[in-house]
Amino acid sequence: MSEEKKTFVVTRFDPDTDDAPRTETYEIPVQADWKVLDALNYIKDEVDPSLSHRWSCRMAVCGSCGMQVNGEPRLTCKTSLSNYGSTVEVAPLANFPVVRDLVVEMEGFMERFKKVKPWIIEAKEQAAIEGTHRQSPAELAEFKQFSMCINCMLCYAACPVTANEPDYLGPAALALGHRYNQDSRDHGARERNEVMRDEGGLFACSFANECSEVCPKNVDPAGAIQQAKLGNVIDWATSFVVPRGGK
Amino acid sequence: MSARARVDAMKSSAAPPTRTADPSPPDHFPGRGNYLSYVAFGATGILMWLAAFQVLRAIRALGAGEEAWNTMLASFRHPSYVVFHAFLFVGLTWFALRFFQVFPKTQPPRMGPFARPSDTFFKVALNGAFVVVTLLIALVLGGAIL
Amino acid sequence: MVEVSRHDVVIVGGGAAGLRAAIAAVEADPQQSVALVSKVYPMRSHTVSAEGGAAAVARDDDSIEMHGYDTVKGSDFLGDQDVIQYFVEQAPKELALLENWGCPWSRNEDGTVATRAFGGMTTKRTWYATDKVGFHMLHTLFQHSMRFDGIVRYDEHFVTKLLVEDGSVRGVAALDIRTGEMKAVLGRSVILATGGAGKVFPFTTNGMIKTGDGMALAYREGVPLKDMEFVQYHPTGLPGTGILITEATRGEGGFVRNADGERFLVTRDYGVGKKAELGPRDMISRAIIGEVNAGRAFDGPYGQYVHLDLTHLGEAAIMSKLPFVRELATTYVGVDPVYEPIPVRPVVHYMMGGVDVDIEGRTVLPGLYAAGEVASVSLNGANRLGSNSLTECLVYGARAGVHATQFAKGSDAGSDDSLRRQAEEEAGRIDALRGASRGDEQLSTVRGDMNAAMEAGCGVYREQESMAKACRDIAEIKPRVDALALKDGSKVFNTEIIAALELSNMLEVAEAVANAAAVRKESRGAHACRDFPTRNDPEFLHHSLVYRGDPEPRIEKKAVTLGTWEPEERKY
Repeated sequence: MSEEKKTFVVTRFDPDTDDAPRTETYEIPVQADWKVLDALNYIKDEVDPSLSHRWSCRMAVCGSCGMQVNGEPRLTCKTSLSNYGSTVEVAPLANFPVVRDLVVEMEGFMERFKKVKPWIIEAKEQAAIEGTHRQSPAELAEFKQFSMCINCMLCYAACPVTANEPDYLGPAALALGHRYNQDSRDHGARERNEVMRDEGGLFACSFANECSEVCPKNVDPAGAIQQAKLGNVIDWATSFVVPRGGK
Repeated sequence: MSARARVDAMKSSAAPPTRTADPSPPDHFPGRGNYLSYVAFGATGILMWLAAFQVLRAIRALGAGEEAWNTMLASFRHPSYVVFHAFLFVGLTWFALRFFQVFPKTQPPRMGPFARPSDTFFKVALNGAFVVVTLLIALVLGGAIL
Repeated sequence: MVEVSRHDVVIVGGGAAGLRAAIAAVEADPQQSVALVSKVYPMRSHTVSAEGGAAAVARDDDSIEMHGYDTVKGSDFLGDQDVIQYFVEQAPKELALLENWGCPWSRNEDGTVATRAFGGMTTKRTWYATDKVGFHMLHTLFQHSMRFDGIVRYDEHFVTKLLVEDGSVRGVAALDIRTGEMKAVLGRSVILATGGAGKVFPFTTNGMIKTGDGMALAYREGVPLKDMEFVQYHPTGLPGTGILITEATRGEGGFVRNADGERFLVTRDYGVGKKAELGPRDMISRAIIGEVNAGRAFDGPYGQYVHLDLTHLGEAAIMSKLPFVRELATTYVGVDPVYEPIPVRPVVHYMMGGVDVDIEGRTVLPGLYAAGEVASVSLNGANRLGSNSLTECLVYGARAGVHATQFAKGSDAGSDDSLRRQAEEEAGRIDALRGASRGDEQLSTVRGDMNAAMEAGCGVYREQESMAKACRDIAEIKPRVDALALKDGSKVFNTEIIAALELSNMLEVAEAVANAAAVRKESRGAHACRDFPTRNDPEFLHHSLVYRGDPEPRIEKKAVTLGTWEPEERKY
C-alpha cells in the first residue's frame, strides 16, 4: 500500500484551559480504504493521545461518531477518506454545545427524545395481551422506516430551526414520535400529539429538508414530520368530536 | 434568520456540569442549496405581508366610494407597484412550487385501502395542475376567454 | 470530593441484559431505585450491532425439547442443562414481551411473528427484525425503560471498582467521564451486564467498548471466571475491519465457497453433515481455516479469506431480508452482494465464558450478580448457537434483576462513610494516573502486543506450545501497564485514562483466557487443540474456573449439571 499523507485540521477544546475552541493540524500517513474515523484513531493512538472523540461500533449502527467533516455532518466511521482532498477539517457537530474537542453535549437531545413518549402506550380499557399482537407486513411498513433512527444527531446538526429555536424538539425526536403514532400496537397518538403540536413541536419545522439529506439511515425525518403535521391536525379536529378516551 | 446558532441551541434544562463552548451554526448557512431555498421560502412571507397591506388598502378604498376606488386602481400603474407585483408573482410561484415539494411528504404510506402514489405522479399532477390553472387565469384576465 | 448516591440495585452496563434487568427490577418492586451505570449512552451499547435474530420456539413443528437439545448439543455438552431448560421455557415469553413493548419483529402474511433458520437449529425458531435485530431490541428496551422513574441513569460513567464491605458488594466507584470526578453509586446489590471482551483480540466483530470491564471487576474481587477458554470465532466477518456479516445470510440460503468456487462445507467432511452452511459456528470457522491451511482460499491485503455467495438469492430477497448486509458489504469492502460474493473470514465474536454465576445470576460474592455475555451461567457451554445470546440477555437479565431485588430487600446498606472513603481512594488512584508518565510504554503498543499474543496463542486452532507462550507473553505484558506514558492530564472527557483502565481490564481477561485454554487438554466446542484433537469426557467434562492469583492465576474445576440429555458424539 502506498504511503499517502493527508492533513487534518481538528477542532480542540478543553474547558479548563481554553476560552474557546481552537484548531490543531496533524499530518499523518493514511491508507486508501480508511474512513475518517480510522484517521482520528491513528491521531489519538500515535500522535496526540489527548484528542477526545466518541466512537464504538465502527459499522454505522451505534450513532456515536457524528462530526462535521469539511462542514457536513457525517458519520465518521462510514465516511471514506478518499472522498476528500489533501486537507480534511473535522469539527464537533453543529448546533450542539461543545463539551471537549469533538464531543458534544447530548443531554439536550436526551430530554427532547423522552418528551415524545417513545414507547407503546396501551389502550386504557384493553385487557392484557396473550402472546404477541398480530401485525401484518403492511402495518409494519407504515412505521418501519421511522424506526431505523440510530440517534446519531446529524439531523440536528443540519437543521436551521434547531440553530434558531432553542425549544425545538428536533427531527429525530419528532420522527420517533411519529413512528409510535403509526405503530398499530400503539394507542397513545392523542397523548403524543398534544406534546408534538405544542411549542417547539412539529409546527416549528418549516421544511428545510436538510435533516433527510444528511440522515445516514434514510429515515426521512422531514417526511415523518410533514406526515405527522397532517395527522396531528386531523387528530386535533376529531378530538372535538371524539373526546379523550377513544383511540 | 441569523448566520450564527443561538448560544442556547440544544440546551438541556439542567445547567451543564462542565463549561461548554457555544454551538456553531450549520456550515454554509444560509448560502448553500437547501438552506438557500429554505430562506427564500421564509422570505416569501415578507411579500405576503406587504400584499396583505395592499388588500387592507383596497378594502378601505371600497368602503370610501367610487372615486377612492378608482384612485387606488390608478395607483397600480405606478412603476413601483408594477415592480412589487412582479416580485409578488415570482414569490407566490416559488411558494407554490416549494409547497408542491413538501406536499408529497405529508402523505402517509397508505390512505385507507390505497397505497400512496409515486413521487413522479405527485410531481406531474401538482406541477401540471399549476401550469394549467396559471394558463387559464392568464387567458381569463387577458380577456381571451370568458 | 466524591459524590455519594444511594439506590437499591446498581446495574453496570446498559445493553440488552442491563436494560432488561433494570426493567425487571423496577417491575419487581416499583418503590425501589435502580441505578443504571453505563460508560456509554445505552443506545450505543454493543447489543446494537447484532444482526441475525433471537431464538425462541414459535412454530407448531417445534418444541421446547428440541430447542433444548439443539442448545445442549451446540454447547458440546458443556452447557448446564437446568440452565438450558429454564432458558428454552422462558424464551418465547421474553420475545413476546419485547413485541408488546414495540419491537418491530418481521411478520408472516397472517400477522404472526416470522422465524428464520439459523446455525445448529433443527427448525426455524429465530425471530428477526430484517437483519438489525440487536438494534431494534436495544432501542425497544431503552425506550421502554424511559417509562420508569425508578430507573436512574448514570450515562458515560466508567466503573473502576466494586465497593465491597464486610464480604458483601455494596456499590460501585464510578468515574464520571464528563467531569473527571469519582462518584460512589451505592446499592444493596450490583448486577454486572457489561458484555464480552472481543477487543482483547486484533480482529473482532466487537466495537471499541467491548473490553471485558465487568469480568475484570469481578475477577479482581476474587470471583472466578468460568470457561474462559471458549472464545467464539464467527465464521463470516469482513477481512480487516472484522465487521459482522450475519449468520442469517446462510439462514436465508447463502453459500460459502473457497477459491475454486467449491462449496467445501458440502463437498468435504468438516463434521457439519447435511446442515452444510447451517452447521454450528465453531465447526464452520474451523472449516474455513482448514481451507486456508490447504491453500484453497483467496489472498487479500488483510489475510486470506473465502467467499460468502448470496448472488443466487436475488435482489428482492436481499433487500427484504438482508438490507443491512448489503449496506455493510458495499460501504466497507466495496462489494454489492446482489452481484458479487462477499469476502469473509472467521473473526472473534463472542465469549462463551465469563463471570461464574448460578441459575439465578448470583456470583459467589454476596450481592453481586451478572447477566448477558459478561456471565457464564452456563447456557452456551463450549460453543454458542447463533441467536441464543440475545434471548439469553432477556431471560437471564430479567432473572438477575428479580433476584438482585430480593437480595437488596434482605440486605444491609453498609456504611455510606466507609464506602465513600473507598471511592475516594479510587479517585486518588485515578488522579495519580491521569496524564502521568510512569515509564515510556505507549498505550497503543501495549494493546497491540496483547492482541498479537492472543491471536497467536488462542486462535481458531490452538497448540499447547502456542498457548503456553501466550500465557508467558500476557504475564510479561501485564506489568507494562504500570509503565505507561500517559499524555492527557485533562479532567473533562479524558478518553486516554479510560483507554488505560480498559487496557488493564483486557489484560486480566487475556490472562484468564490463555491460562484456561492451556490446561484444557482436549478439543471441545470452540476450543480446538491440535495436540488433543478429540473430546475427552472422562477427564474434561467440567467447567474451568480461573481465580486471579499472584504470580499466576489458579485454575479449578466445576461440575457440569447434566440432565435429560446424555453426552454423545457431536455430529450433524
